[in-house]
Amino acid sequence: MYTQAAVELNQVTKRYNEIVAVNNLNLTVGTGEIFGLLGPNGSGKSTTLKMLLGLVTPDKGSVNVLGLDVLKQPVEVKSLVGYVPEAANLYEFLTGIEYLDFIADVYGVPTAEKRQRITEYLKAFQLEGREGDMINSYSDGMKKKISLISAFIHKPKLLLLDEPLNALDPRSARIVKDYLQSLKVQGVTTIMSTHVLEIAQAICDPIGIMYQGNILALGNMDELRRQASLPNSGLEDIFLKLTGTEDLRAVVEELTR
Amino acid sequence: MNWKNVLYLVRVDRKSGRLIRGVKATRYRENSFVAYWPYWTALIIGVIGGYLSNLAASAYYSHGVPAGVKPLSIEAVSFFSVLPTLVLVVSLVFTLFQQIQIGVKVSGQVIYSLPITWEEHAMASILANLLGWPAALVVGLSSGLIVFSAFNGLILQALLTVAVLLGAAFMASSITESLRLIQVRFTGAVYKSSGRAAIWLRFITYILIIVIFYIAYFYIIYGTGAFVANLTAAQNAVWYVPFVWPALVVSYLAKGLYLLSLLFAVLSALLIAGLYYLAVDLNKRYGLYEPPAITVQKSGVYAPKTGILGRLGFPSVEAALIRKDLRAFTRRRELLASYIFPIILIILAIFESVGITSGGVTTPSANIIYVAWMFLLPTSSMAMLLGESLIGEEGQAVWRIYASPITAKNLVKSKFFVAVMFSIIILVISSVVGVIVYHPSLRKTIALVLEAFFLVPALASVSLQVGFRGADFSASRRARMVRQEWSLIGFGVSIVAGGAVLAPLLLLYGLAFLSHTSISSLNLIIGVAVSGVISAAISAFFYKTDVGAANDLLRKAEV
Repeated sequence: MYTQAAVELNQVTKRYNEIVAVNNLNLTVGTGEIFGLLGPNGSGKSTTLKMLLGLVTPDKGSVNVLGLDVLKQPVEVKSLVGYVPEAANLYEFLTGIEYLDFIADVYGVPTAEKRQRITEYLKAFQLEGREGDMINSYSDGMKKKISLISAFIHKPKLLLLDEPLNALDPRSARIVKDYLQSLKVQGVTTIMSTHVLEIAQAICDPIGIMYQGNILALGNMDELRRQASLPNSGLEDIFLKLTGTEDLRAVVEELTR
Repeated sequence: MNWKNVLYLVRVDRKSGRLIRGVKATRYRENSFVAYWPYWTALIIGVIGGYLSNLAASAYYSHGVPAGVKPLSIEAVSFFSVLPTLVLVVSLVFTLFQQIQIGVKVSGQVIYSLPITWEEHAMASILANLLGWPAALVVGLSSGLIVFSAFNGLILQALLTVAVLLGAAFMASSITESLRLIQVRFTGAVYKSSGRAAIWLRFITYILIIVIFYIAYFYIIYGTGAFVANLTAAQNAVWYVPFVWPALVVSYLAKGLYLLSLLFAVLSALLIAGLYYLAVDLNKRYGLYEPPAITVQKSGVYAPKTGILGRLGFPSVEAALIRKDLRAFTRRRELLASYIFPIILIILAIFESVGITSGGVTTPSANIIYVAWMFLLPTSSMAMLLGESLIGEEGQAVWRIYASPITAKNLVKSKFFVAVMFSIIILVISSVVGVIVYHPSLRKTIALVLEAFFLVPALASVSLQVGFRGADFSASRRARMVRQEWSLIGFGVSIVAGGAVLAPLLLLYGLAFLSHTSISSLNLIIGVAVSGVISAAISAFFYKTDVGAANDLLRKAEV
């Protein structure tokens, strides 16, 4: 059991005009946990991840990451975090290797280590042979791989992954899942948002379910089952019940009419 | 053809071009009054111009038809007959130039998965290309013609001319559409086979194309009078050139040769239809574009280098940012246009001095204006343009800057270095060309080079401020880098800052001119030294505020 908090959000609120994206959120993620952040579209997951990196400034509340105040020490926080956004907008005029080189330099990875790590990651994600091509010719999956490598390359203490497995081929998705587990053993904390509930159930512990800017339920699978009063159920049923969308038959009937 | 589909496509195309993605304005907002300003401005100018032309013509013909002059109705329609060719040429230049700046349409775009025919795609693309300056020109000319003709009983001729103007503009845009598709096919094939050389091939090709179009643009803008006069005389003689057919419809009508007018109307219609179906056919063949994989490095040869920037003392983060920007400016074609302008200024100065654009030869060595232009203007404009665009050019990938451990000082230092470095390169080029073309004295050369050198950091720091405050990260329909209002503010502030740097020298020249004496060497040295001090003060002040602006940008980094 990990006790030290890697991430702490205290009474955090973020509004976009009249829309409340995150509402008085309190959340603590322990060091070395793989925290799964689930929720329907627009529930505040991405905003929460961005606030942890200082990409979105909360209107209220405090955000602490690895013992640092994100608002007061943003550069220090960023140097310890690896981030994968949902949409991988990369510098498309660079080649894959130039992009990774750029990222490694920005994070101050020593030259010898940089070479070794880039080579290893390119091999692991089967990008060898295409690393010298400009990114504008890459598929979405290849761009996602570059995005993931750029989050891993400086050996961060915290990973913020927004839909990290989208567009990945099964082999690469498996590598990412296993790699996150091995990083967990090394004490690296991961917070990932995903809509793929099977993946969340398989690798995340604990899991938080967000809805309309609030955390509805939080804990491991057993705790979630208890909170949803659904013993022996899977994550999908728990998710649908907690987010009030469990009875979908009427919707489907309406669509098929 | 489903015209509703065409309309929807044109609307999407133009709306994407008006999206502003500023630092705070992450949502789509549009003020239609501002969005359509070229058209209503053209309309107002046209109406006023038409009315004033009528007053002028009435005054001229108030005592009957002057000797040696044809009646107003004939002279007027004779002028109308030039306009279709003028519209065709201007539309061709503008639409082609627009296409250079717009990124290619790739097959992944959702628009191509919709049930829309290639005829509709081609028509929408042709019409969308015309929106902007070509359409404003047609609106302005048409409104002017109609107002003028309403007072002079020439309304039918005016309406026919307006229809021909529309046809000419459509013809120009159809040609552009076909050329765009041929270029997509050609460059795709060349890049695929040329590997790393593709980067430089593309770089040089675009520089050449942009230089040619800028020169054509300046020729048309500054030489409109001569262009129109030449056309009036020439277009009847070159009737076999299809581009003058629309104009001949009006020309023969003015002369009362109705059968010939009808013949060229039919020929023009057939030509327009032919060009349109050519564009449709090329769209079917090459319309869906897949970016070729340009291989810059071969596999297995990756070796990270410290590089010259590291040896110059730049920390790795700043060196990385500078390297990225240098690559961006040799690989992104939409960025080429922003820093090609100084090269155009150098070429134009040479052309002006040998009389290509002005219509007469000037005496280069005697003309201080051209010497000052050559030494100061290209370098200044490079510092201004780069400073303004270096932040917005990050585009949608700006999140990478926000999410990385990059301080405001890192960001400002690296961007400032890129702007200064490119400006110094231009300073060297323009100075060498200036010395070769104008042979200024050594004293004058040194003074001007130093003044240009002092302008660089001052203008770079001023325009970086504009770049940070007015950054426009929108990438479609084309990358703009800085919002228009901030660009105008930057222009004004840069003129003031540049004027302040040059003030000591301007003062010396002014006094020498008034007293009919020459400037002593000591006074010149003092004047240049004071310019240096002013430049240092401006640069230091704005550099400091640039760091503040960068801090704001990074702090409010909402993605």
